Amino acid sequence: MRTRAALTVKLGFAPLLAALSIAATEPAAAQKTLLVLGESVPASLDYDGPAGNHPASQTGFHNLIEPLVDYAAGKVEDGTQLLDFTKFEGALAESWSFDQATLTWTFKLRQGVKSCAGNTFTADDVLYTYARAKSLTGKAPIGYFLASVASVANFTPALFAKTPEAIEMRKLGDEVKKVDDYTVQIRQSAPNKLMLPVLTIFGALTYDSKEMKAHATTEDPWSHDYTNNVNAPSFGPYCLESWKKDEEFVAKANPNYYRGKPYFDRVIYRKVPQSANRLAILRTGQASIVESLTPREIESLRKAPNITIGGGYLNATMFVLLNFKSKPFDNPAMRKAIAYAIPYQDVIKTSYFGEAKQWEGLVPSAYPGYVKTKSQYSYDPAKAKQLLAEAGYPDGKGLEAFADAFKLSYVAERESNLGPTATLMQTRLKALGIPVQLDPQPATQLADRQLVKKDLPFSLYDQSKPVGVDPAYAMQLYFVTPPRGVNNMTNFSDAKLDELFSKAQTEPDTSKRNEFLAEAQEVLMDKLPFVPVVENKLQFAMQSKLKGLVLYPHQNLIWRHLHE
Amino acid sequence: MIGRFVLKRLGIAFLQLIGVALVVFFMIRMLPADPVARLVGMNASKDAYEQSARALGVDQPLWQQLANFLGVFSNSGQKGLLQGNLGVSWVTNTPVLTEIRDVLPVTLEIVTYSLLLAFLIALPLGLASARKPGGIADRITLIWGMFAGAQPDFWWGLLFVFVFYFLLNVAPPPMGRIDPLLATPQAITGFMTIDTLLQGRFDAFLSALHHLMLPVLTLVYVVSGAIVKMVRTNTLRALQSDYILYARASGLPEAQVARYALRAALTPAITLVGIFYSVLLSAAVTIEVVFTMGGIGQYAVRSILAFDYPAIQGVVLVVAFVSLMIYLLLDIVHAYLDPRIRY
Repeated sequence: MRTRAALTVKLGFAPLLAALSIAATEPAAAQKTLLVLGESVPASLDYDGPAGNHPASQTGFHNLIEPLVDYAAGKVEDGTQLLDFTKFEGALAESWSFDQATLTWTFKLRQGVKSCAGNTFTADDVLYTYARAKSLTGKAPIGYFLASVASVANFTPALFAKTPEAIEMRKLGDEVKKVDDYTVQIRQSAPNKLMLPVLTIFGALTYDSKEMKAHATTEDPWSHDYTNNVNAPSFGPYCLESWKKDEEFVAKANPNYYRGKPYFDRVIYRKVPQSANRLAILRTGQASIVESLTPREIESLRKAPNITIGGGYLNATMFVLLNFKSKPFDNPAMRKAIAYAIPYQDVIKTSYFGEAKQWEGLVPSAYPGYVKTKSQYSYDPAKAKQLLAEAGYPDGKGLEAFADAFKLSYVAERESNLGPTATLMQTRLKALGIPVQLDPQPATQLADRQLVKKDLPFSLYDQSKPVGVDPAYAMQLYFVTPPRGVNNMTNFSDAKLDELFSKAQTEPDTSKRNEFLAEAQEVLMDKLPFVPVVENKLQFAMQSKLKGLVLYPHQNLIWRHLHE
Repeated sequence: MIGRFVLKRLGIAFLQLIGVALVVFFMIRMLPADPVARLVGMNASKDAYEQSARALGVDQPLWQQLANFLGVFSNSGQKGLLQGNLGVSWVTNTPVLTEIRDVLPVTLEIVTYSLLLAFLIALPLGLASARKPGGIADRITLIWGMFAGAQPDFWWGLLFVFVFYFLLNVAPPPMGRIDPLLATPQAITGFMTIDTLLQGRFDAFLSALHHLMLPVLTLVYVVSGAIVKMVRTNTLRALQSDYILYARASGLPEAQVARYALRAALTPAITLVGIFYSVLLSAAVTIEVVFTMGGIGQYAVRSILAFDYPAIQGVVLVVAFVSLMIYLLLDIVHAYLDPRIRY
């Protein structure tokens, strides 16, 4: 106390400070408030808009907008509820059936569901959502993308043509059909098991069509401006109360929510960009739960009183990308040499403080259909050395010609997360004669080279996950040859993998499908389009009195489950 | 006369802004990345990419993009710069002007209070140390200058958070401009301290002041040293000048002599404050980040990292405009303070 008094008096602020401290610690209102701190807050509530890839915006989508189906609850591990990815439960849809002969899904919709605006949920809301996705009017058409991944009929690349016919085709046809007010049918163009997984993803959430139409204008018939800047009207557990971009997002519990009003009446989602500050505010007890702490910060909280770390293994991973179009990574022995030169256990220990495990595949191990493949890699410098010689570069001789290829890129904004691993890799690879330089780059610049130009030779990444919980979804996203493969960042192309993927995609029998997928995973681990490094825990730090954390594959915090 | 001078300067400022707009337009298009990538993300199929590029207008030839930006021969159906429209942010889809209207006052509020306070502290301290070189005031100035300049402002900011919030708990948590449990007042001027008073929200006013405490303290701490030094040096020089010697020889009271010296020392000090003001508009970003004040600095960094062309263009133009206005104001103040200056 003496120190405090001395300091404040020295600064001449004592009386002012005393008055202000009282003002700022006024008791909270009687309603139950959850204060969540994140790196950022939603930038948009339009999932087809400019912020579809923005994690905080996705948190906004998922807490405000309701899906048709969701995963059922699974086991609870260390106080964290995991989901059972083999079981779906109804959300806005109460039940469903699939007719193999016509490839048609029939969804029976829940009755008596009210939106935040008080509108009753009907089949029209589902039709509106699909019609909006098919209109391709958003700046980044995620709704279309997901429908096409699930082989919904007529959601094809032909829609993008600039011809009058294509524009006409962008109107919703009978592929999504209203049978009655509470029955909807969705037709697929081919058998595809991804229908239900896709319905859980943010780009397939259902808007309140009446409220959306009320805010449509002639220039913006699908209310993109409204969802980008004002609100996302839906039937979810929370309704928007106020929103200041880059600062704060406040939601209040939806009193009409069909599962019952959530425990917290109000959620304040605040942006605190410095993770050290998020940690400090949590420790003083003012924040309820915080997102995106670094592994080191999480470790520092282990012994903090009244703080719990919640989370577990799901689909957070770190991997190395080696571009097939960049020499010498076109050489299979070179790729394997790198896989054997990564000090997996040291990465787990020094970068993740033990809160990670080696990733032994290229599909998250929590996903149904994952197999531990025969090809496995461990830190084995002797083997790496031998493979390097086999590749034609004994002790790294000759690799100096590829200085640019050995620039290890990673997202500069994630230096605290990726930096330690990048440095470890650099040291171990250099010891083998592989001349690695570190090349952190701003996220947008990296995304441009990785996703669009696809010319990044060598990079370390930890921010991508297949949000559809299925090996085929992961493969289509990362590994299948374009144009069917969507986002093949390493220019990988393998006829065998493509064939197995095609078979799995249309195979109706689950066990047969899993056999194809298992074989495909063997191909991947042999060819190494990515070198898997670790699977790490997805973690949130919170007050110990807070319970009910549920981990979702989208990795966003779902507020409705939390309670004290 | 001063009226003509101001008009002339405004005319030049307009041309300068047009120049800045053109330079920025071309410079950002030389950045080593494509903004569409961020937008389409994982959904980067060729069709989706083209669709997004069309939506942003970057599929058009460069001259057409420039025409759309300026609002001459535009084919976008939107107003351009010359009609007072800075475009729509590619990250949030909100008009850039609206976003800047929200973030600029945040920075102006911190910087204005900080520089005002710094000036009020630095002036007497500088005068005192000049009048008694080697005295207590002089020594304080020296030690302060050495300390404050030894570490970057964000480091001091984080240290102040640790000491005043985490250890002593006399400062609020570094999460914005007002207690999150209080309703945010409606923005009128954008200055939280003014808006809360205008709406009679005394609780929110105190909270806003409380939240300004640490960011202002940090900036005052960091910038005052330089202003004190400037005042000290110029007062010392003035005290040794012929006219002060003459004043003293004429037997004028010491207080009046000090006032003469002060006037001479004031001009460079005000110039320095003016320079700090325009520099801090963008350089206060570190303070904004540490204390979660969503000001224009943070907005600029966010826009640059996301390659949000309209937002970058908007920020640069607005900051340039404010800087030009500050320099104009400085010239007018100089004319008032220094009778030798004639326009």
